[in-house]
Amino acid sequence: MSQAKHTANLLWGAVALGALGVAGSYAATGPERFWANWVMWFVLLFTLGLGALFIVALEHLVNAKWSVPVRRIPERIATLLIPAVPVGLIALAAVPVLYPGARPEAAHHPILAGKAFWLSLPFFSVRTLIAFALCLLALWMLVGGSLKQDASKDPAFNLRARKFAPAFMAIFALVITLVAFDWLSGLTPEWYSDIFGVYVFAGAFLSGLAATALAVLSLQDEGRLEGVRGDHLYNLGGFLFAFTVFWSYIGFAQYMLMWYANLPDEVIWYKVRLEGAWRLITLALAGLHFVLPFFALVTRDSKKDPRRLRRVAYLMLGAHVLDIYWLIFPILGAPRFSWPELSFALFFLGGILLWIRSAMQKGEDMPVGDPFLREGLEFRL
Amino acid sequence: MPETSYAVLGVFETPDALMKAIPKARASQLGTVEAYTPYPIHGIDEALGLRKSPLGGMVLVMGILGALTAFGFQYWISAVDYPIITGGKAVGSWEAFIPIMFEVTVLFATFTAGLGMLLLLNRLPFFGHPVLSSKAITGITRDRYALALEAENEAFDAAAAARILQEAGATEVEILPAPDRSPFLTSDYILRVAGGIFTACLGAGLVMYFAIKLFPVLAPMKYMQDQPRLNAQKPSSFFKDGHGMQRPVAGTVARGHLPTATGTQDESAALVNPLPRTKEIFAVGRQAYKNRCEVCHGAVGDGMGSLTAAYGAKPANLHAQQFRDYPDGKIYWAIVNGKNAMPSHAADLSEPQRWAVVHYVRALQRAQNAKDEDLKVVAP
Repeated sequence: MSQAKHTANLLWGAVALGALGVAGSYAATGPERFWANWVMWFVLLFTLGLGALFIVALEHLVNAKWSVPVRRIPERIATLLIPAVPVGLIALAAVPVLYPGARPEAAHHPILAGKAFWLSLPFFSVRTLIAFALCLLALWMLVGGSLKQDASKDPAFNLRARKFAPAFMAIFALVITLVAFDWLSGLTPEWYSDIFGVYVFAGAFLSGLAATALAVLSLQDEGRLEGVRGDHLYNLGGFLFAFTVFWSYIGFAQYMLMWYANLPDEVIWYKVRLEGAWRLITLALAGLHFVLPFFALVTRDSKKDPRRLRRVAYLMLGAHVLDIYWLIFPILGAPRFSWPELSFALFFLGGILLWIRSAMQKGEDMPVGDPFLREGLEFRL
Repeated sequence: MPETSYAVLGVFETPDALMKAIPKARASQLGTVEAYTPYPIHGIDEALGLRKSPLGGMVLVMGILGALTAFGFQYWISAVDYPIITGGKAVGSWEAFIPIMFEVTVLFATFTAGLGMLLLLNRLPFFGHPVLSSKAITGITRDRYALALEAENEAFDAAAAARILQEAGATEVEILPAPDRSPFLTSDYILRVAGGIFTACLGAGLVMYFAIKLFPVLAPMKYMQDQPRLNAQKPSSFFKDGHGMQRPVAGTVARGHLPTATGTQDESAALVNPLPRTKEIFAVGRQAYKNRCEVCHGAVGDGMGSLTAAYGAKPANLHAQQFRDYPDGKIYWAIVNGKNAMPSHAADLSEPQRWAVVHYVRALQRAQNAKDEDLKVVAP
């Protein structure tokens, strides 16, 4: 227990140190870089929570049995949506600074003037609030209901969750598209890509999966989650493998069409990312987000191997951070990475880990009230 | 001693009974243990001690080979053998290769998986597996679970194997006879297959021959021939002026060759033809002249081209004294910028081609106005 206390103290220290750096960076580097960092970590936090909630809903939707023993893990990670709300409300202050569509000059812009109402701060805020409300509703339905089931043992929850899951898919599609178009593609409002929401979804789902796999493996190190075996890990690894390919497919499809058509308003987005130091980062993203995890997980045994899976999960989370960085930071010019970025990473990573650690201590590790738990534990490939 | 039986088959009522019997059958070491069940049973791979399939590695290697093949093939075609610029992209742009690399990777990988599984690992074609002709097969495809002890060599003891399976709890035991393993690729079989293919080809050929004879108007695939298109020097309703050929947009130049004659014609008089008078250059000039100039200026440059009558224009007779006195630069200027009714050829002819045409025009002028010394025979 003293070990756990030690870790908690370390994390609190990281958060405190990070908070100092965060406050200092606003004064030292100006609002643009501060808000770019803030929006990046808001998007990371929000997509991680959404991705985890998507896993929960997906398992309810298809009535999956294998995932019941590990379902509590994405349920706990999905509670990150709660701290994402205040972080997101603060991030709204970034809108007039970073988002050209919400600035007064937009009224004279030939393209943005037509979208002025949609891009304006009031409607932007309304959309964000609606997205938060929908997410919290889904969290209450799916995660809250599951926690209540631990005590009540009421199988009716499974039926309710299964009925709610299709509705959640519609909510999820709407919310993740809003995140993608408002918060990420809104930074360059002249640029437009239909598939962008799907691209962000792929990254969000991957980050949720990687966090789930990591949490399952660390709980197993502590001797918890007894009964979760290589067969369950294989499914998590298989999902990770499949969706690294999916992410690359969507990412490359978007790039190739724009590269081929070579329309100035589309291709500029890539031109910025393929010149100078950004070119290296783009190549690194392709390597870390696709090539490395693809070959690390390609064999059947590697998906069951806890050591391999843990490394790939760390890699995927890192690659997801790089991906969101790559989507946001080119608006500031050359890649920026220095103490402000490190402070933000310390502050938010420490906070996320503290939140998840405390969530992992609450209640049962498995949904003990779920009638399918036994079937899930007996799952074999 | 001939092989007397293929295997002994024991039938079990439940999958649990089958799983319990597997270790006993394997411990007897009488033959290869194989299970036949109506659906996959969890954990049976480990119980049977099956080795990891080599198929995964084969598929990975062939998939990578497929990707490399597709890349190499496309690169060779579009950058080495016939470099052509498509859509304004550089030759050998890898981005365009990715979809085809992906498809060929999948093609190689799936063929390797399918054919490797069937031909290499399961040793097909092998007609009539002995278990298919057993009495137990109707049960095995429904609700019975069979365990087979398969003969590994000629010393297989079928009676002992049957006893082991019975002791392990089999409700029925059946000894399967050895299958007919005579080779099926006999010369008779090959002859019949080859004869069948030949007859089918002959039939198809005859049908095609008479079909084309009887229905000669049914030309196949005329879409490309019939599509709306613009032909050089033909009318077309596509453009307002009714011409198929349009003047290039102002300022158009041949790829890679900026025009040097941008001033007035008199200013260009000082330009010097940079090309030597060689046979090859004259050939280039002649070809370009035939393609671009001859319809108006005529084959010998006398201004009596085949289009002259149709248009009512009066192209220059290049043998007139005025043009014979022109410096090279002025002819070059006319090619680049056009003159009177003559359009600019800057977009059609590269800079070396234009200067080669200048040389050729000089040759035509000289041929029509030869001097005495031109008639001397050049020593070989």
